[in-house]
Amino acid sequence: MAGPVIQAQQNCTFIISGKVVDENGSALPGASVQIKKLSLGEATNETGSFRFEKLCKGTYLVLVQYLGYESVEKRITVDSNLELTINLQPSERVLQEVVVADHAEVATRSNNTAALSARELDEVSGKSLGETLQNISGVNSIQSGPAIFKPVIHGVHSQRILILNNGIRQEGQQWGAEHAPEIDPFIANNLTVIKDAGAIKYGTDALGGVIVVTPAELPADQKLGGELHLIGNSNGRAGTISGLLEGGIKNAKGWGWRVQGTGRRSGDAHTPDYVLSNTGFREMNYSASVGHHTETSGFEVFYSHFNTTIGILRGSVSESLDDLADRINRQVPANTNDFTYTISEPRQEVTHDLIKVNGHIRSSKHLYNLQYGLQINNRKEFDVRRGDVFTALPALAFRLYTHTLDAERETILSDTHSRCIGINSMIQDNNKIDGTQTLPFIPNFRNYSAGAFWIEKISRDKVDYDLGLRYDYRLYQIAGFNFQNRLYKTQFGFGNVTATAGVSVKLSQHSTLIGNMGSAWRPPNVAELYSLGTHQSAAAIEYGLLLDEITTQVKDIENSNVNPEHALKWVTTYRYQKNRWQAEATGYINYIFNYVYLKPRGITETGRGPFPYFRYTQTDASFTGVDASMQYEFSPKFSIRASASLLRAKDVTQNDFLIFIPSNRYDVSLRYESKGHKKTFFAQAKLKYVAEQKRAPRWVDPEEIVAANEQGIDLFATDTRNFDFMFAPQGYALLSVSTGLSVLVQNTKLDFRLSADNLTNTRYREYTNRMRYFANEIGRNVSVAVNLSF
Amino acid sequence: MKSQLKILALITFLSGVVFLSGCDEDPEPEDVEEEITKVVLTFTPSGGSAIVVEAEDFDLGGVGPFEKEPIALNANTTYTLTIEMFNGFYEPTDDDYNVTTEVAEEAEEHQLFFSWSTGVFTSPTGTGNIGSIGVVNYEDQDDNNLPLGLETTWTTSSATTGKEFRILLKHQPNEKSATSTSDDGGTDLDLTFPISINE
Repeated sequence: MAGPVIQAQQNCTFIISGKVVDENGSALPGASVQIKKLSLGEATNETGSFRFEKLCKGTYLVLVQYLGYESVEKRITVDSNLELTINLQPSERVLQEVVVADHAEVATRSNNTAALSARELDEVSGKSLGETLQNISGVNSIQSGPAIFKPVIHGVHSQRILILNNGIRQEGQQWGAEHAPEIDPFIANNLTVIKDAGAIKYGTDALGGVIVVTPAELPADQKLGGELHLIGNSNGRAGTISGLLEGGIKNAKGWGWRVQGTGRRSGDAHTPDYVLSNTGFREMNYSASVGHHTETSGFEVFYSHFNTTIGILRGSVSESLDDLADRINRQVPANTNDFTYTISEPRQEVTHDLIKVNGHIRSSKHLYNLQYGLQINNRKEFDVRRGDVFTALPALAFRLYTHTLDAERETILSDTHSRCIGINSMIQDNNKIDGTQTLPFIPNFRNYSAGAFWIEKISRDKVDYDLGLRYDYRLYQIAGFNFQNRLYKTQFGFGNVTATAGVSVKLSQHSTLIGNMGSAWRPPNVAELYSLGTHQSAAAIEYGLLLDEITTQVKDIENSNVNPEHALKWVTTYRYQKNRWQAEATGYINYIFNYVYLKPRGITETGRGPFPYFRYTQTDASFTGVDASMQYEFSPKFSIRASASLLRAKDVTQNDFLIFIPSNRYDVSLRYESKGHKKTFFAQAKLKYVAEQKRAPRWVDPEEIVAANEQGIDLFATDTRNFDFMFAPQGYALLSVSTGLSVLVQNTKLDFRLSADNLTNTRYREYTNRMRYFANEIGRNVSVAVNLSF
Repeated sequence: MKSQLKILALITFLSGVVFLSGCDEDPEPEDVEEEITKVVLTFTPSGGSAIVVEAEDFDLGGVGPFEKEPIALNANTTYTLTIEMFNGFYEPTDDDYNVTTEVAEEAEEHQLFFSWSTGVFTSPTGTGNIGSIGVVNYEDQDDNNLPLGLETTWTTSSATTGKEFRILLKHQPNEKSATSTSDDGGTDLDLTFPISINE
């Protein structure tokens, strides 16, 4: 402790003492406490306490800093002895804080949410968005090999999940199970999942929930800041480099800017026993933003570019049912070669560009928000085709333009009552990129959507309520090619209402109960209506809802019984937090009417032999489950965390099971963490157990289908139950360990991290990975990361 | 503040009008050169007239079957089988209609495999080379002297009915070799015909 400065002629006998605590009220030893004016500073002791003596009367600024937490500056007036308790919040921006800052609010207190903070994101950095999100309980993914992760919330996926990327509805070619979201996770400072149905502010489709990708606020001061991440993975010999620079503009108060870029490259991944040929990927993403903020207004311009090339396991390609039977029965996948960084067919080349302009004006009562977004998504899929000439052409190529315009007004009616109203509009234009020399799998289309919403929020003493209502209309204009390669054109529309009601009750100082009931809807997407043919490594032919069962001709929607999907989802969360305990349980029931899925319908014969064909079909489905987690701190340094995620999904109409539903999973982790002012160290071990999916559709071996077909029997003619080409794989347990050290040198924070996933090199297959038919999952992966931020 | 909302509504409406009024051209159809929708098998005996058997997928990309005529050959006769493949998405006058030429040009990455029920042929012996190692009398080769199979010879046995004859065209880029089999590569064509041998 530096010697106190005694100023003459003053009464310098005052004492300031106090305690620095974290968000849970636990002591933070080693926090830095400074009184700038007096050049005094000390670190808190083991109990988080500090003490300054012999202070003179006056006003001082006390600065409290702690690695990983937001710094607090407190103005105190000393005219007596003071005892302070200083609360520090983790440095990641909690959603509500962002809200308070400026922007439109994405989640309310009565939403059921789960988030990954900046720190948690750092600990899993170098993974794709979908893989990162798996760290949130209740969120899984449908995988296509080691690099393609499509998020699943409570068993529901694809078009039923809305992704908000920096406030904009992410729009891309998302109709395939092998289409991962086109977002660089390094953009995010916070990833939040809203598990409720019905994102009132953002339109249709959120039947399963919403994923919110939030970047950090633009800097408000002129200081230059930056980050550099370097990550290396042993499996796939992959490397990631990501950097960020941000700052203000000299002599221009209120201006802030940020540039960011990420490069990732991986070669073929490997299982414990063999290489997964053609599973490498390359990614190059960058973004830039600039904005100006004052007390009452602000605007921002944001641009991001995402570009990836991803290989799909070569051994998963099957061009006939016989090929498929062969590929499934192999011990080692077909076409397995030595490791390479080369990405051959099948592969995807995807780009996504986003330009966003948004602004807000705040008055004493109102907050106005306006934002426009333009998204351009290019998707090309290259398949193994007949001859080099064809192989060089994409088998599927589409370009999707999406314009969105959102406007809203938030009004504070009283201290306890606020209202938000707004409108959203969207225009989409999807065109095939000519030259694939295949029948286009989906037609060209335009989509005009418009909606309006109204949200009321009321806070009572210990209870928060919110109610939301919206109406949407969507018009499709379609121009596609039928099975004879002849043009068809049509147009039609859907309109409906979305409603939610939520309540959050603070039961005691330690516990909260949140309940939310939502009704959401979704017009069937164009792929579900008009799909025709086969796409990337799916050994099946798919027909849309509007293709006639017998003639395959395109039907008018009026002459069909196609209906929008409707979901009714109830979610409730109980949170408990006391001393060393922290627990949370979320229960949900999601009933989806007219649930669209691909159903096996029969065998069709093509020039390549018999193929099973699937029709998009509608049924009623239910998803019921629980996500639970619990954490206990043995000491300030040792903690244990356990979580479970259970789900039952059912095709209610047919009393059958649905395919690719995540099985029950459990994990337990032990963590040691020593926090200090200049140094933080952690070590963690995690054991994850994934049970076998017992509630899976029946298994029909492709060889059985071929054999039956040779006898002139169509196995699906009378038995219309769902089926799978392979039985669900056995359950598995995986061990992962990680350790990291963070040091603060001057104003630069350095992190080192070493981790190993699948430490024991276990051989296993995951039910929700489409690669499971052909190959094991990847083996041990050791990852080294260095992060630098200033 | 009300006026601001009105402005927002106006912008929304106007941008809608701009996009709506964009003039639309119909998309162009794709060339679908890769498909095989018709196969013609011509069995030519050393003397006498040829027997022609056709198979065709009349509804192209639809659910309908690939309809196949039965093969009916005469007993104890040697035939030369030539196989032709066509793409029904094109008119017979288009170059892209005949797929056979393309397969012949890319002979180094294609091979036809055959299998049949026992007791149909006396030569070749066995039941073919699909999924097993068997003999087929190939009459054509690629530049590497490996068999192609657009032309083959067959000697029928005595009369029999209710048998099958399967043709499998495999695409084996960088895979076709002296040891490659019907399990290698991808399938371009896989058809099973009913076959009978008449007295």
